[in-house]
Amino acid sequence: MRRALVTGFAALVALLTIAPLLWMLSVSFMAPGEAAQFPPPLLPENPGLENYRQLFGTYGVGRFLANSLFVSTLATLLALLFTVPAGYAFAKLRFRGRDAVFRLLVAALVVPGQIGMLPLFLELKAMGLVNSYAGALVPWLAGIFGIFLVRQYCLSIPDEMLEAARIDGASEGEILRHIVLPLLTPVVVTLALFVFLSSWNDFMWPLIVLADQQLYTLPVALAALSREHVQDNELMMAGAVVTTLPVLILFLALQRFYLSGLLTGSVKG
Amino acid sequence: MAGLSIERARKRFGDVEVLKGVSIDVADGEFAVIVGPSGCGKSTLLRAVAGLEDLTGGTIRIGARDVTGLGPSERGIAMVFQSYALYPHLSAYDNMAFGLRIAKASKAEIDAAVQRAAEILNIEALLDRKPAALSGGQRQRVAIGRAIVRKPQLFLFDEPLSNLDADLRVRMRYEFAELHRALGTTTLYVTHDQVEAMTLADRIIVLRDGRIEQAGTPRALYERPANLFVAQFIGAPRMNILPATVIEGGAAMLAEGSAIALPPGISLPPGTPVSVGVRPEDVTIGAADGLPFAIAFVERLGGLATLHLRGAGRATIACQIRDDGRLREGERVPVGFPADRLHLFDADGRRLAAEAEEDACHGAV
Repeated sequence: MRRALVTGFAALVALLTIAPLLWMLSVSFMAPGEAAQFPPPLLPENPGLENYRQLFGTYGVGRFLANSLFVSTLATLLALLFTVPAGYAFAKLRFRGRDAVFRLLVAALVVPGQIGMLPLFLELKAMGLVNSYAGALVPWLAGIFGIFLVRQYCLSIPDEMLEAARIDGASEGEILRHIVLPLLTPVVVTLALFVFLSSWNDFMWPLIVLADQQLYTLPVALAALSREHVQDNELMMAGAVVTTLPVLILFLALQRFYLSGLLTGSVKG
Repeated sequence: MAGLSIERARKRFGDVEVLKGVSIDVADGEFAVIVGPSGCGKSTLLRAVAGLEDLTGGTIRIGARDVTGLGPSERGIAMVFQSYALYPHLSAYDNMAFGLRIAKASKAEIDAAVQRAAEILNIEALLDRKPAALSGGQRQRVAIGRAIVRKPQLFLFDEPLSNLDADLRVRMRYEFAELHRALGTTTLYVTHDQVEAMTLADRIIVLRDGRIEQAGTPRALYERPANLFVAQFIGAPRMNILPATVIEGGAAMLAEGSAIALPPGISLPPGTPVSVGVRPEDVTIGAADGLPFAIAFVERLGGLATLHLRGAGRATIACQIRDDGRLREGERVPVGFPADRLHLFDADGRRLAAEAEEDACHGAV
């Protein structure tokens, strides 16, 4: 009985969560103005791809989609490249000042990202990276949260296993590649997904750093578009679908790893 | 193959000195066991030999080579850890092959080495399995296999049996002995279990508080313990220690108030305080001139029984006898301490040896 109640409640919450997404999908197939009627229709009368045609044809959203894919993929790869070895080093390698530096990093987590935006912008401007993808990628390179996540997970790897590999003649790099990385799969997938989602959805930083319209990522481009098309709900919904769908698919595909990553990262051993 | 020679090894962690100048020589092909209570520094010493800890002072030689400054993989050693430390994402085969793959050995070479080790350890059927699908004993075998494959000059074992249940421990102990006989590799084995030490070792090194208390064959340590600590650490049930004072006529007065004869060949001035040690298996029941003791408790083990006896004072001693089932708790029995089976220690706990024994002792070491 209690179980059924819990299940029912969970189903209700799930329905409330997914309803707007479903309606977004539905509206994207409607004719212009159809969604603005009262009461708003749940399903399109004559479903069509006109909005998508317009998006990709007239407004060249394909280019922005490609930009976004490029930036997010690169951000994810670079973040993993720096964050995973750093997290491992903070957990398992002995070096001077390790714990002090780590404490400093964790303390820096409480500073909101927005505060860092202006100094970061000025810094990048001095380096000549404004209005380039290099500038758009910089904030993703070494996220403190990612380092923290990897470190916590690495703590559960027994030292003896790494020592056995050292005796077996493996260098520190080989230990990381052949022993540690395979064990980190869940947390690496989690982190990759996390970075990809965040950089994909990020609006503020690309808006600040990318001036050239050719470089716009999808959220920035759609925001620019929506200023001209405030009335065109159906077109905007199609844009929203284009933005949401890739990450939704990615998330569902990797969900298995993602969940186990979240769970195992928190509880040691 | 090669012997191992450790000279004045010192290790300090911050303010704590864990090894206080330990020197050990292990001959080529010898099975040496370091035994001691927890915190005595035995694991640190082993890890220093493996190259996993740097020494604060002293040198380590394997064969003719000074390996003190070398990394773990350059020392020609293999180590089996207490937790086995298998790589969980690799099959038993790949676990054993890992070191050779890192060393870029050929496929055929790797396969031959792994198959040979698997054959020795009787795990050919398990090679495809991951560690999670293996039992404790099987994991242990794979860990040993990983060590064998390296063809080391020196095997290091860090409490390898303590994660196994009692039954398996006895069996694996036997297998370790067999394995050592088959391979003949010099072995350094760390344990806190004196039974493991006694059964496996060619030579036992008793470590306490970062210092060697005594080193020698199991027989020598059992028969001629150098001090009270070794006397009580080696042998189970542990040796009985009775405080006494030397009196005239080659005898000593126990704190109990009764006199016992001391071993022949020992002459001490009357009034010297001593500790008299006697192993439970040397205590005799029913001796004609025995001292009266009451049986406080009987532990029956089947063939053997351990009697816990209470004397006239408050002293209790243990006595191991063949169990004929007749002795009962509460009974009073005369207890004898055969003079030639007694161990005598001075006030500082050092062994007081008869002159004849002293010579024999030096000869053995």
